[in-house]
Amino acid sequence: MNPLILKGIRENLRPKHLIAAGLFSLIVCSTVYLTSYLEGSEGKYSKDPQTKEWVKGESSPVNGARNAFTFLLALQGFYLMFLGTGRVASITAEERESGLLDYQRMTPMNPLSKIIGYIFGIPAREYYMFLFTLPFLGHAILVGKLPWGNIIQLYSVFFCSVILYHLTAHAVGLVVPKPRAASWVSRIVVLGLYVVLPGLGQAGISFLSFLTILPTYFGKILPIIREEGYQKRGHFDYEARIADFWKDVPFFDFAISPTTFTFLMQGLLILILLITGYRKWRNQALPALSKSSALFIYSIFQFLLLGCLWTFFDKGEASGLIGQELSANEFSGKEEKILGLILVIGIFFSLSFLFILCLINICCPDRHLYLKGIQRIAKFNLARIPRIADESSGLGLMLILTAITLFTYSVLIKLALHSDAWVLNSSFLSLCLIPTITLLLAVIYLQASREIWFNLGFWGFVGLLWITPLLASLVLGVGWGEENIGLILKLLAINPLSIIPMHWVYEHAEIVKLPQEIAQNINSAIQFGLLIAGIFAILLQSRLYFIRKK
Amino acid sequence: MIQVQDLKIHYGDFVAVDNLSFSVKPGSVFGLIGPNGAGKTTTIKAIATLIEPTYGEIMLGETSVLHQPEQARRMLGYMPDFPPVYDDLRVEEFCDLFAHAYGQSVAERKEKVEKALAQTELTTKRRELCKSLSRGMKQRALLAKTLVHDPSVMLLDEPGANLDPKARIDMRKLLRKLADQGKTILVSSHVLTELQDLCDEIGIMRDGKMVVSGSIEEITQRKKSSRKLEIELLEESHQFTEFVEQWPTLSELKKTHDTKAQFEISHSGGREEIPGILSQMIEHGLKVTSFTTRKSKVEDLFLEIESGSSEFDQN
Repeated sequence: MNPLILKGIRENLRPKHLIAAGLFSLIVCSTVYLTSYLEGSEGKYSKDPQTKEWVKGESSPVNGARNAFTFLLALQGFYLMFLGTGRVASITAEERESGLLDYQRMTPMNPLSKIIGYIFGIPAREYYMFLFTLPFLGHAILVGKLPWGNIIQLYSVFFCSVILYHLTAHAVGLVVPKPRAASWVSRIVVLGLYVVLPGLGQAGISFLSFLTILPTYFGKILPIIREEGYQKRGHFDYEARIADFWKDVPFFDFAISPTTFTFLMQGLLILILLITGYRKWRNQALPALSKSSALFIYSIFQFLLLGCLWTFFDKGEASGLIGQELSANEFSGKEEKILGLILVIGIFFSLSFLFILCLINICCPDRHLYLKGIQRIAKFNLARIPRIADESSGLGLMLILTAITLFTYSVLIKLALHSDAWVLNSSFLSLCLIPTITLLLAVIYLQASREIWFNLGFWGFVGLLWITPLLASLVLGVGWGEENIGLILKLLAINPLSIIPMHWVYEHAEIVKLPQEIAQNINSAIQFGLLIAGIFAILLQSRLYFIRKK
Repeated sequence: MIQVQDLKIHYGDFVAVDNLSFSVKPGSVFGLIGPNGAGKTTTIKAIATLIEPTYGEIMLGETSVLHQPEQARRMLGYMPDFPPVYDDLRVEEFCDLFAHAYGQSVAERKEKVEKALAQTELTTKRRELCKSLSRGMKQRALLAKTLVHDPSVMLLDEPGANLDPKARIDMRKLLRKLADQGKTILVSSHVLTELQDLCDEIGIMRDGKMVVSGSIEEITQRKKSSRKLEIELLEESHQFTEFVEQWPTLSELKKTHDTKAQFEISHSGGREEIPGILSQMIEHGLKVTSFTTRKSKVEDLFLEIESGSSEFDQN
């Protein structure tokens, strides 16, 4: 057995823990299960359409068990996904802070075995508590006549999600210094990554929805539970829409099963976290991702974005509850259509930009790391630092990532220009030029600032440059919106994320019926934003050049 | 066995270790001494593969710590200055965890754990939870864990810091015994007297640099003012001060007692000169009641280096 799993069992499952955790789980689980079972099995009142009288239906154990199944699943999720995740993060951070992790780092165990040991050993007590839910689960499946095939799919995705969350928590624990903070940061990260971000899936970026077990639950379990148990409920329509949505996933021109897609998505994330964990276990000083793995991961990310947005740009159809509202076919007016398109383009660029920002933070060397590289090449008599080494400048990689983003964008724009679903006023070149310049300039100055300053300086710079003008424009907009529209737009344009939607609005000013004066203001704001980005790019790159020369 | 060459470790703009070079012979004990912030712990952590140096090379025999860290880790046993332990594990489980992690079989683990517990005198505490141990006991548990995979190189950062006087003596004896069995030990400490008796060689660090290294004998011999004269007079006399000032090889007159006329003087001349000094003092009418010589200890040297007044600094 893995020594770290054995350690987890020894630490967490002594007789006193076995009794206390077992009793706790048994009491909570039996209460939740029996309450929901009894509530669900009772016959429901319904109005007889002929006699117009309220009639109580027959009690049904099948309905009871199916009703209880969902609550039981939530309880299992609470044990493993909430309690377990917090524990993995806090113990990892605690051991890192105290130095215990150093002992483990020094043992000759394979880094992968260490990661497995941590993510299965630390939450040993939560897995033990989970065991107490299994008899109830068996009852729910047998009495509720739930098909085994669907249950197996659901629980495969459930455990895949648990591993993903625990890996995330382990990675957070390796990064966040304070144990108590790590516990909460990991829960917030898990909620953000796997609950809030999937919300964007409803706006057409469907792959983000598959970070949770919800698609499999809605696609494979809810339709079965609805067959009998929920048909008499008031929220039937909404649930029916959810269940319909998850039956298949539009990806390019294909439809993929939600379970398969979830495995693909979660598998990709698990791979990223394993790479990070492996590198951090090998050497704490290494950046979380190497340049080549960052390139690989970003390419897959862009491929997924392209696949999910394909049908939207090609046929004007978006998946997801919000996505369906945004779809071109749902709108009758050209104005509404173009605004829906601009919103989705804004989401595309925001996600891509934020991903690149994270990779700049991870893969661009700070001064310390760069200096290390310089001293190494002197030692090995090399002419320059190898391009893919962690110590080498990140400019090349960031330019490649920008090119990939612009390629994806240009494919989407081509689709939209050739589609009957959209009516666009502009040419391919005019729609691509400003986003290309914006992205290039922003990436160039961000890379330089990362390599000039350390973490605090870099994030402080990004915060001051991107957030402060945004807040100032908000205050101005609320207080003196009409008279200062030019200034507000200029402040907004300092943040490169605002320039691209602005450019789209300007290009389609006629369709969206924008007054001439405001259109001109938008145009000068875009030029101002590009000027600021250009100045920063030149200044910071020159400074970086002189620092390195020195 | 341990060879550190041109080691540099930067934390941002701060230079923690600067061009450090030293070597430790197989089966010997090397002591790193220095004030807080001298770079001792950073150096030990770099050898233990826990910090990646900015520049330099660290070799354990033929194994490069930087390029073959996995192989190096098999040879290393590391004990940090503050002893973290797994609170909810029993002492024997704590040792067993590491024996297991080093790939030993069940039978081997049992034997090795037994031996390590016996060496550190923890056999009677084997079933106790680590959290119930005193700090000194935790230190021993940590040493037992370090010994359990039989490393050829041991890195001990302030090993005696939490121990009572008897336990310190026991620890010293144990480390000496381990060195005699062929283990190479690098130890850091602030308790200089401990290292004096334990180490074959020492290195004194300040501001990330090695100020001086070698055997204690060599270092004290290399230092010119290595001899101290301790003199007690019947009563204080200004003649005594004048005498010391005029004698060319005497310096640094210090009064060592508040009420008695006891003094300490540095002497940089030869041993043969000492009888002459005593006879001249008597001839000058000084009423000498006690006259002893002692060699300057490492502690004196350390204090000089810490204050920046050592001649090694100027060289």
